[in-house]
Amino acid sequence: MTDAQPLDFSTVLAASVHDMKNSVGMLLASLESVIEDTPPENDEQSRRFSTLHYEASRINSELIQLLTLYRMQNKVLPVRIDEHFVIDILEDQIARNHTLLETRGVAIELVCDHDLSWYFDDDLLGSVVQNILVNCVRYTHSAIRISAEVENDQLCITIADDGPGYPASMLVRPCCQLDEAEVTDGATHLGLYFAEKIAQSHRQNDVCGSIKLANGEPLGGGVFKVRIP
Amino acid sequence: MSRGVDYAKLSVLVADDFSSFRHTVSGMLSSLGVKKIELASNAREAIQCCEHKFFDLILCDYNLGDGRTGQHVLEELRHRGLINRQTLFLIVSAESSRTIVLCAYDCEPDDFLMKPINARMLQQRIERLVRQRDALAPAMRALDAKEHAVAAQVLEQVAGRQTRHAVAAQKMLGTVLLSQGDLDRAEALYTRALEVRQLDWARLGLAQVRQARGDLDLAGEWLQKIVEENPMFLPAYDSLAENWNKRGDRLQEQTAVQKAVEISPLSILRQKYLAIVAQENADLVTAVVAQRRVVKLGRLSCYGAAEDHFHFARLVADAIEQELDLGSDIGTEAINFLKNAKDAYPLEDSAACSVHLLEGRLHALAGRKPAAQESLTEAEALMYEGSEDIVLEVDRMHALFALGENPRAEALLNDLRVIFADDQRALERLDVFLSEPASASNSALVADINREGIDLYNHGRFDEALACFDRARTLFPRHVGIHLNIVQSLVGKLKETGRDQETVEECARALRRAGRLINTEHPQYTRFSRLKAMAHSAMGH
Repeated sequence: MTDAQPLDFSTVLAASVHDMKNSVGMLLASLESVIEDTPPENDEQSRRFSTLHYEASRINSELIQLLTLYRMQNKVLPVRIDEHFVIDILEDQIARNHTLLETRGVAIELVCDHDLSWYFDDDLLGSVVQNILVNCVRYTHSAIRISAEVENDQLCITIADDGPGYPASMLVRPCCQLDEAEVTDGATHLGLYFAEKIAQSHRQNDVCGSIKLANGEPLGGGVFKVRIP
Repeated sequence: MSRGVDYAKLSVLVADDFSSFRHTVSGMLSSLGVKKIELASNAREAIQCCEHKFFDLILCDYNLGDGRTGQHVLEELRHRGLINRQTLFLIVSAESSRTIVLCAYDCEPDDFLMKPINARMLQQRIERLVRQRDALAPAMRALDAKEHAVAAQVLEQVAGRQTRHAVAAQKMLGTVLLSQGDLDRAEALYTRALEVRQLDWARLGLAQVRQARGDLDLAGEWLQKIVEENPMFLPAYDSLAENWNKRGDRLQEQTAVQKAVEISPLSILRQKYLAIVAQENADLVTAVVAQRRVVKLGRLSCYGAAEDHFHFARLVADAIEQELDLGSDIGTEAINFLKNAKDAYPLEDSAACSVHLLEGRLHALAGRKPAAQESLTEAEALMYEGSEDIVLEVDRMHALFALGENPRAEALLNDLRVIFADDQRALERLDVFLSEPASASNSALVADINREGIDLYNHGRFDEALACFDRARTLFPRHVGIHLNIVQSLVGKLKETGRDQETVEECARALRRAGRLINTEHPQYTRFSRLKAMAHSAMGH
């Protein structure tokens, strides 16, 4: 390219995020084979493996989010809606996080009709589930429940845990607003912002997708719901 | 939970440039019970593996190093018939969703798997795909055997059942019906799908049905709407370009291809298409830029050919002759591309001859007469009487004119007009050298453009008139009447808007170009002399 335009920092950042994501991907793959080849011999080791794996997964999904948000802002995010089986994306994400769930000793329950199909971008919705799932692993005590069903003509995916639940401040504020103060505190809630944007990019007639946070049933902890029309 | 997949019978190829990844995946496959695993570390090895062996499943990394991608591998395997529809081709990738989406639209692999991957994910995916392949296998076999009616029948059955393979079967059925011209059934299928949701594939399918029925305006409107709502949906641009082509609007056709190329610049076939349609629209700058990409992309692609290099050289020479500004190095670049063609492809005599002729023309245009002369001699040594290859003869004529050997060129031209007297297409190619087109089609074309330009001129719309005549000049550079119309329009413009420097220079250039083509014997010489006097007074000389 011969265009001598001044460097746009967000473009540079996006390129380097892309590169970092590839590295973290390699890191995760190597880590998984290490854990497979030399299973932890005691609790202490198991905890360390788990921390390593959890942090790497978190970086990975945050980098994916950053890239996706960058593309959304630049209007080059393709949303490719087609008919998919809901269980496929849920099973994919559970399989992707298999090692993480196992080293943390988290039991996972999946409640979804095998024949339930819906219309969505599998790649984007998959990354929302991945993101919430990794977050739940951090806060839950021992169990996560993922369920999917159609309610009022919308696909509703619920991810619930038995941890302490979402803090009250998060339940009341609209999550599409990124709070400057929180960003500087390091608590960006970027994941929820991302999830909401993805949900909203799915429209049918005049209805667009949404997300909702709650605490309580079914496991007593946090409950995340994403609705896709 | 193997769910009916017999891993011991599955043969799998893993292609990735990282050895650690290859071995990790191979380990995962072994643990699933796969016995037949081959590994490839780059695109070349992957393709070689498929030359000798059939694979049920190919797990191919997107980025294979050396610039080659999984898409290149898949395209080549299909192009050379090294895999059939039964082979499952999975692209494994750490790439962004954008790349994946473009790749999905352009080469349609069976699935994508995002890195990092683990054994469980791999198992789930393989089982899902193998089950789908088994469900559709009878249809695939029928398609491979070109028994389309049988395939359609099988697909219709699968599509009608309430199974998880129904959607895949519907999509495939739609394309089979369209390709067989069974428009009623195709229309019914897409309409049914659209009753549930406005899905892009069904909207495109319905537009294609309309297009095939000749309902071009409506199909075009629908296609336009699809790309407005989903600007990355490449197949819709292809249909849109076809739509404008059928409506005879080549400029809109070019715009549609250009948009698709902007979104997916790595598609060599679309770049080729763009170069062709831009050249036909006399937009040489766009044609040169597109053709340069064709040559570069061709180095990695099975769709690359020596002819791409020749065509680049031809376009560049045309651009130089028309004094288009494409940078001073463009001629050298074209000569280098010709050298690359010699290195990269085994050239037969006629191709070697093209290289010499084009080198000769480019040397001559750069003022290197001895080198040009030498190339021409080498070329002519390879040509023989009665070969009657119009492409070579046209290149030879260009080289002779560039060298200033006009008497030889004119003599050759007269010979060729006799040899190809019954060949309209060949005559069309010779028209660029004639002051009046000899082929019926081009005579009509020039007359049309001229009429439009004259009409604009008469209404005082000089810039538009000039654009019109310039287009005609690019198509028929030796057409004296067009050159004189250009001079006349510039004179009109100068009188109307005053003597700005740019127009004065343009007018002087136009006069020079016309002067080179005309002598005192020419029937339009009187008009030329009159215009020359008018131009000088308008320019203030």
